[in-house]
Amino acid sequence: MNRSAQMMLRRLGSLIATLVVMSFIIFLLVEIMPGDVAQMILGQSATEEAVAALRQARGLDDPLLQRYGRWVKGVLVGDLGESVYMQGVAINSILWRRVGHSLVLAFTAFIMFVPLSIFLGVLAGVKEKKPADSVISFFGLATMALPEFVSGVILITIFAVQLNWFPIVSVIPIGQTLFQNLDILVLPALSITFVMFGYVSRMQRSSMIGVMNSDYIRSAILKGMPRKYVIFRHALKNALLPTITIIGMNMGWLFGGLIVVETLFGFPGMGSLLMTAIKTRDVPLIEACVLLITIIYSLSTMITDILYSYLNPRIRFQGGQR
Amino acid sequence: MKYFLYQLKKNPLAIVGIAIIVFWLFAAFIGPSMMSFTHTQIDADHQMARPGTNGHLLGTDSLGRDILSRIVYGSRSILTVALLTSIFSTIIGILLGFSAGYFGQKIDALFLRTMDILMAIPPLVLSMVVLGILGDSSILSLTIIVSIAFVPATARVSRGVLLTEKSQEYVMAARIRGESHLYIMFIEILPNTTGPIIVEATARFAYSIMMVASLGFLGVGLQPPTPDWGMMVIENKPIIDQAPWTVLFPALAIASLVIAISIFSDFVSKVLVHER
Repeated sequence: MNRSAQMMLRRLGSLIATLVVMSFIIFLLVEIMPGDVAQMILGQSATEEAVAALRQARGLDDPLLQRYGRWVKGVLVGDLGESVYMQGVAINSILWRRVGHSLVLAFTAFIMFVPLSIFLGVLAGVKEKKPADSVISFFGLATMALPEFVSGVILITIFAVQLNWFPIVSVIPIGQTLFQNLDILVLPALSITFVMFGYVSRMQRSSMIGVMNSDYIRSAILKGMPRKYVIFRHALKNALLPTITIIGMNMGWLFGGLIVVETLFGFPGMGSLLMTAIKTRDVPLIEACVLLITIIYSLSTMITDILYSYLNPRIRFQGGQR
Repeated sequence: MKYFLYQLKKNPLAIVGIAIIVFWLFAAFIGPSMMSFTHTQIDADHQMARPGTNGHLLGTDSLGRDILSRIVYGSRSILTVALLTSIFSTIIGILLGFSAGYFGQKIDALFLRTMDILMAIPPLVLSMVVLGILGDSSILSLTIIVSIAFVPATARVSRGVLLTEKSQEYVMAARIRGESHLYIMFIEILPNTTGPIIVEATARFAYSIMMVASLGFLGVGLQPPTPDWGMMVIENKPIIDQAPWTVLFPALAIASLVIAISIFSDFVSKVLVHER
C-alpha cells in the first residue's frame, strides 16, 4: 500500500508539472507568434486607437509573467477567466456544458466498443486460425489503422446519405438538450468504436490464445467441464487483464479522436470548442480546454492503473512494482 | 533478406500491402506529371461533376477542381511528412532512450520524469494546439512538432531495448577494453537492436500517416493551395449529400495507404520476431 500510495503521489506530481509546463508554453507561443487578438475581435478596419484601448481594457499589454500569474491565480479558485474572442463570456459558463456533451459521447462510444471488442476478441481467440478468426482479425487490423474521420465519412455516406437513418451533422437545435437528440450520438460514437475495436479485440484475442493454451485450462477441459463455462468463467478472468491495460493506454487516442469526430460531425463538445479557440487565438479558452483534457486523460490512466493492480493480486502484493 | 522473401511468399496479404505502398510511391513521384488537370486548375463548366464524366475520372469538387489530380498531388506531402516524422522520431528516440538507459541513475530519472510530462497529454492534442497557435504549417514545422509528440513513445521503446542488451557479456567486454560510451552504445549495442527498432519505426510510419491526415483534417496541417487529403475531406464535408465522391475518394486514399502500411508493419514484426 505504501508503495502504491507513493506511486499515486508521483503521478499526481507529474500531472501538476504537465499542467504548469503546458499552460506556460501556450502563453509563450501565443506571445511570440504574429497576430493580435484585439485586432481580430475588432476586424481589419478598426483604428489603431480602438485596438490599443481594447488591449488596455483586457490587460493584454501587461508583461507575460504578470498575465500568466493572474491566470494561474484565477484557476486556483476555479475561475477560468473570460473568453477573449467572445467578449465578456465567462469560460465557466460555456465550457462545462461542452465537457458534459463530450463525456456523454465518450461514454456512449465506451459502452459500444468495450463489450463488442472483448466478445469478438474472445471469439477470435477461441477459434484461432479458423475463418471467424481471420475475418475478425483482418477487420480489426483495418479499422484500427483508419483515422476516426475516415471511418466517420464512410459511416456518414452509408447511414446518413444513402439510408438516411441518422443525421449528417450532429448539432443540437437551439433550446433543446442533448438528451432530446440522442440519435446524433450514434454515428460519432460508432466512428470512435471502429478505431478502438481494432486495438482492444487484438489484445483480447492474443491474451485469450495465451490463456487457452495454459495447463489449468487444458485440465479443466479434460476434466469434462462444459467448454462455455471454462471459457467465460476460467479463461476470460485472466485474459481480461492485458485488455484493461490496453483500453487505458488508448484513452489518449480516444480523446484525440473526440476532437476529430466532433469536428467532423459539428458536435458541440469540448474538442470542437478547442478547435474554435485555436482558430480565434483565444488564449484563456485554449488554456481551459487543454487543462481539462490533460486532467481527464491523466485521471483515466491513473484509474486504469488502480483497476489493474486491484484485479491482479500479483501486482497488488508487490506494491505496484512493475 | 532471403528469409524475408520466403515469408512474403507465404503471406499474400503482405504482398497486397506492399503493392499498395508501391502504388502510392509511384503516384507521389511521377503521378502529377501524368495528370490531364493540375491540382489547382478550375474547370468552371463542370463543378461537382460525377466521377467518370467530362474527363474527370474521380469527379470534381464544388469549385470544379479535379479530385484525382488533387489526391495524386496530395500523396506527395503526406508521404514526405510521415516518412520524415517516423525517421526523426525514431532517431531522437534512440538518442534519448539509449542515453537514459545506458547512463541510468540521475539521467534516467530525469528522462522518465520528462517523458511523464509529455505523455500526460495526448499526442494529437499536443501537436494540434502547438501547430494551431503557430499557424501556417509547413512541411518542416509539421515534421518537427509531430516528431516531438511521438518521441516519448519511441524513446521508451529504445530505452527498453537497450536495457535488455546492457547486461550482455559483449557490452561488458567492450567496457573492459576501454571503449568510449558512444562506441559501446552505437557500434556495439545498436546493431543488435535493429529488429525491435525497425518494427517500432514501421508502426510509427502508420501512426504518422494517421496523425498527419488528422491534423490536415483539423485544418492545422499544410495550408492551401497545397492539396492535403485530410483537408479535402473536411472542406467538402458540407456537400457530402450532393457530391459524396468529393469526400469519399480522399478518405479512401487515406484508408488504403494506412491499412497497407499497417499490414506491412504487422508482417515485418512477425518476420523479425520469428527470426530472433
